[in-house]
Amino acid sequence: MSLMPSRRRFLRLLLSAVPASSTLMTRQGRASPAPSPQPETVRLLMPAPFVDALAPAVARFNRAHGDVQIAVTRGPLDTEALSDLASGSLLLGASAFDLLLMDISWTARYAAAGWLVPLEPLLGEEAMAQMVPEARLGNAFGDHIWRLPLSGDTALLYWRTDLLPHPPRNLQEMEAMARDLQRRGRVRWGYVWQGRQYEGLSCVVLEMLHAFGGRWWNHVSGRTDLLSPRALEACAWLANLVRTGVSPPGVANFAENDALQLFSSGEVAFLRNWPYAWGLLAREGGPVSGRVGVTPLVGADGWAGGGTLGTWGLSLLAGSPRPQAAARVIRWLTGVETQRELVVSQGYAPTWPSLYADADLRAAHPLLDIQRRALRTALVRPITPLYAQLSDVLQRQINGLLTSDLPPELALARAQEQSDLILRATGARATP
Amino acid sequence: MTTPWFSLVLMAPALLLMALLFVWPWLRYGWLSLHASSLLTGLSVVPNGGANWSRLARDGRFWVDALQTLRFAGVSVLLELGLGLLMALVLHRPSRGRGWLRALVLIPWALPGPVMALGWRWILNDPYGPINALIQRMGWPTVAFLATPSTTWFSTVVVDVWKTAPFVAIVLLAGLQSIPRDLEEALRLEGAGPWTLLRRLQWPLLAPYVTLAVLFRLAQAMGVFDLIQLLTGGGPAGSTESLALYAYLQAMRFLDFGYSATVMLASFFLMASLALLWLGWMRWQGARTR
Repeated sequence: MSLMPSRRRFLRLLLSAVPASSTLMTRQGRASPAPSPQPETVRLLMPAPFVDALAPAVARFNRAHGDVQIAVTRGPLDTEALSDLASGSLLLGASAFDLLLMDISWTARYAAAGWLVPLEPLLGEEAMAQMVPEARLGNAFGDHIWRLPLSGDTALLYWRTDLLPHPPRNLQEMEAMARDLQRRGRVRWGYVWQGRQYEGLSCVVLEMLHAFGGRWWNHVSGRTDLLSPRALEACAWLANLVRTGVSPPGVANFAENDALQLFSSGEVAFLRNWPYAWGLLAREGGPVSGRVGVTPLVGADGWAGGGTLGTWGLSLLAGSPRPQAAARVIRWLTGVETQRELVVSQGYAPTWPSLYADADLRAAHPLLDIQRRALRTALVRPITPLYAQLSDVLQRQINGLLTSDLPPELALARAQEQSDLILRATGARATP
Repeated sequence: MTTPWFSLVLMAPALLLMALLFVWPWLRYGWLSLHASSLLTGLSVVPNGGANWSRLARDGRFWVDALQTLRFAGVSVLLELGLGLLMALVLHRPSRGRGWLRALVLIPWALPGPVMALGWRWILNDPYGPINALIQRMGWPTVAFLATPSTTWFSTVVVDVWKTAPFVAIVLLAGLQSIPRDLEEALRLEGAGPWTLLRRLQWPLLAPYVTLAVLFRLAQAMGVFDLIQLLTGGGPAGSTESLALYAYLQAMRFLDFGYSATVMLASFFLMASLALLWLGWMRWQGARTR
């Protein structure tokens, strides 16, 4: 008995719902004979700073395109944490994302894992052909292009214009300038860089090896090449910076921001960092505001310098149900207009030659000319799916060199031996 | 009337949950550790006999990390036990504002691990962290806490003790509170001081609580990950890398899932042996005092 009223109410609700739903169907049928399709949503995972930097370009895209919309997920700030997040998602099989903004050092690993889709069928064989040649590096692996870059960043050398008449021409001059300023009490430290056991240290070592005429990776033999006298000289020089007090002992735990903070306090003569640091250092009111210059990284006397290529690019993830829509997003976000915005707002180096040739842009952003020069001598990290292991070995040994009495020859011999073991154990081929 | 069968039926839901949460993952790990699943196999799973286990036996980094993890866990847990006991004894004494004090003590334990690790990374920063600022103010040279193997290892232990000693304190406080007051009073009437009280009454009765706290903490310390990852990244020169961090690197960075499962399983066996050793020692102690 007690159920009766509620059963009646349920029936009443049911009956009232039938005409309502039929009205909806009729209305839909009459008002729009050809219902407009739902816009496709392309899901994009990016590190947090890029979400902010690309927000205007994403908003413009969403306004301009009724049929495709971009939904951005804000990933972690840390590069490797973002890779871990993306890997976790990809390992589950169906990724929660269509596009991933990838660091250059992930390309081969992700491609070998089968997590990426080749871009040529969607963007054409010539997708990168018009880009600056050096910006095209690190996007292909095997026979395919897996990633389209939206920046052409390389590491740069920041120096104090109020303390020095000109930037150093080579590493020896840089060291002498730093020591002189330290001796005269003008700065506490000479040079700060990234010595923490992480990817940043691998970039520093790559640059240092090149600066002394050595190399990390032999593309022909498919082996690391760390036993050369040039490599030994490079690592000894790096370790001496810490041992002789040109760099602070704490540099062995410095990542980019730690080094930037110390340099921006005004107590350091030189800093190695990426282009984003320029905007932060130039901010009004800071202790070094208006007193910082920037130049491509220099080599040792008689050798050319070079900065690590640290570009970011968009990749299409395997299993994406909307590759065509995603390809349109890639074109838009790597296009000239978006990159122009990134030059203006963030100081990121573009990949399109037309932007380096734009007189107005160059006049407003003097960093652009330096970035183009730096890009000409950009250094690419080993392109192999085993890069993460090789980099890990190098970081551990060089960090050991910086934090203990380990002789450089032993650190390099261990790094070479362990790298050989990894390559042999996995039977890896050097190049695809 | 309870029969063994009836007990089993009653326990079935809990057993099923345990099997799902613990047994199944370990079976899966055991199976994966006998297979290759890496970039080389295109992430597909291919049987490789005991290759992962023989690699583990020859992998110097695994054994170094195992020793480092054991050292970290052993020293941290012992210090936490000592400090936790001290804190518990203070909190046990009737005093004004004891409730507030108990809540305050728990704050480090309540802080999320990553937030705490990042905070300490800044506190220990050379030269701008607050500790180094203080050192500089006193006219001494700064200390690169996180840039030499010895100071870094010590820093990780200090941070871990800071965070987890309150947990041990609360567990031991619960134990102290459970000791009947009249026993304490009787002993005091006999003229026992605080030391005798602790040695003769409190410590023996605290034994199950100590075991609980130690086992909990040992399991956590042996699996330490977030603190190390954020504070040192395993550096300098791998000197603070833990087994959990090594297994994580193998899986997430190197995409070698077969070997990562082997490392995880091996650290589980290591942890289980330690726990058994501790239980055995406590039993032996109990039997001896009886």
